[in-house]
Amino acid sequence: MKISNLTKGIIKENPIFVQLLGMCPTLAVTTSAVNGIGMGLATTAVLISSNIAISLIRKVIPAQVRIPAFVVVISTFVTIVGMLMEAFVPELFKSLGLFIPLIVVNCIILARAEAFASKNGVVDSAFDGIGMGLGFTLALTILGSVRELFGNGSLFGAAIFGASYKPALIMILPPGGFLALGLLLALYNSYQFKRAK
Amino acid sequence: MKDILKTGLILLVICVIAALGLGLTNEVTKGPIAEQRFLANEQAKKEVLPDAASYADITGEDLESIVSQFNPVTEAYMGLDASGNTIGYVFKSTPTGFGGNVEVVTGISNDGTVTGLRVGSHNETPGLGAKAKDADFYEQYAGKSALDQIGVSKTSSDGNDIQAITGATISSAAITNGANASIDAFNWIIENGGLEN
Repeated sequence: MKISNLTKGIIKENPIFVQLLGMCPTLAVTTSAVNGIGMGLATTAVLISSNIAISLIRKVIPAQVRIPAFVVVISTFVTIVGMLMEAFVPELFKSLGLFIPLIVVNCIILARAEAFASKNGVVDSAFDGIGMGLGFTLALTILGSVRELFGNGSLFGAAIFGASYKPALIMILPPGGFLALGLLLALYNSYQFKRAK
Repeated sequence: MKDILKTGLILLVICVIAALGLGLTNEVTKGPIAEQRFLANEQAKKEVLPDAASYADITGEDLESIVSQFNPVTEAYMGLDASGNTIGYVFKSTPTGFGGNVEVVTGISNDGTVTGLRVGSHNETPGLGAKAKDADFYEQYAGKSALDQIGVSKTSSDGNDIQAITGATISSAAITNGANASIDAFNWIIENGGLEN
């Protein structure tokens, strides 16, 4: 059990800024800060449970069929979570339901199962899931905030720039996702380079 | 050969467990999910035609002739007062927006006034067309006259026009199209002497 497994996902091996994983849902949902947090937290929940499950059965799965096995486990988890949410916490489902099917196609979950959970113990895998999930949530929230701020003049739904601000619509359209992500990556890298010196 | 059998068997076991888990979850959740969807539907009717005490489905030939004449209307309901008299109608329509079908629920009272409109599930662009779900947009429809078609204006919501969402004229026009089809269906019902439960 190593505590670094918990913290590495947040900055050092951030899934978005360093590993560049799960770009498709990332660019699609980060049109506002709230969406970023919602997608991030839903993914974190799935990431933790799938990491634990994969780690538990890692010794049983033959190496040749590990990918199909992971895919079955992950999509089963996501579907069950989605159904339970719709049935018993409809309010939460209303705001997060949109993200549930997107999580299935999020390669970050498969990547962590393959790169970490299938080779490490249960506790470490759970830590890895929490850390990666939080790092993902952090990155999505930052990306969503930047896009919402310039594209809509608001932050978490609250108007910041006032009515006279003409929103740069491109920021909440798909091209804005690439622009914001590229600029944030540049910022992140320049910070890391300075630190390395 | 032996290896293939063993691997296949393990994969089979994993799939069986996953299928079992999904089946069980579905058994447990299908009741509550159906109930949630029913409640959400009732809630939408209540919001667009608040004066009615209960709602009755329009079915059979009446519904068929409405649906065939007034595309994209798909469902229609009578709003009944406490003693069972029809006081208005609720229509569900699915006009085509920017990203596919948009679910629109429109309420019209017997005196020819649009009493409310709500937007249900949709795939419009977040931050643009998706703003149709904001009260600022859909509340414009309440109080418009059902004796005439509702128009879409880019500048103001005077007369029987509603103001389009900035940058989302297609979504605004689609929703108005759903409202107008509902208005036509309403006028057709009134011309034919109205419907009673």
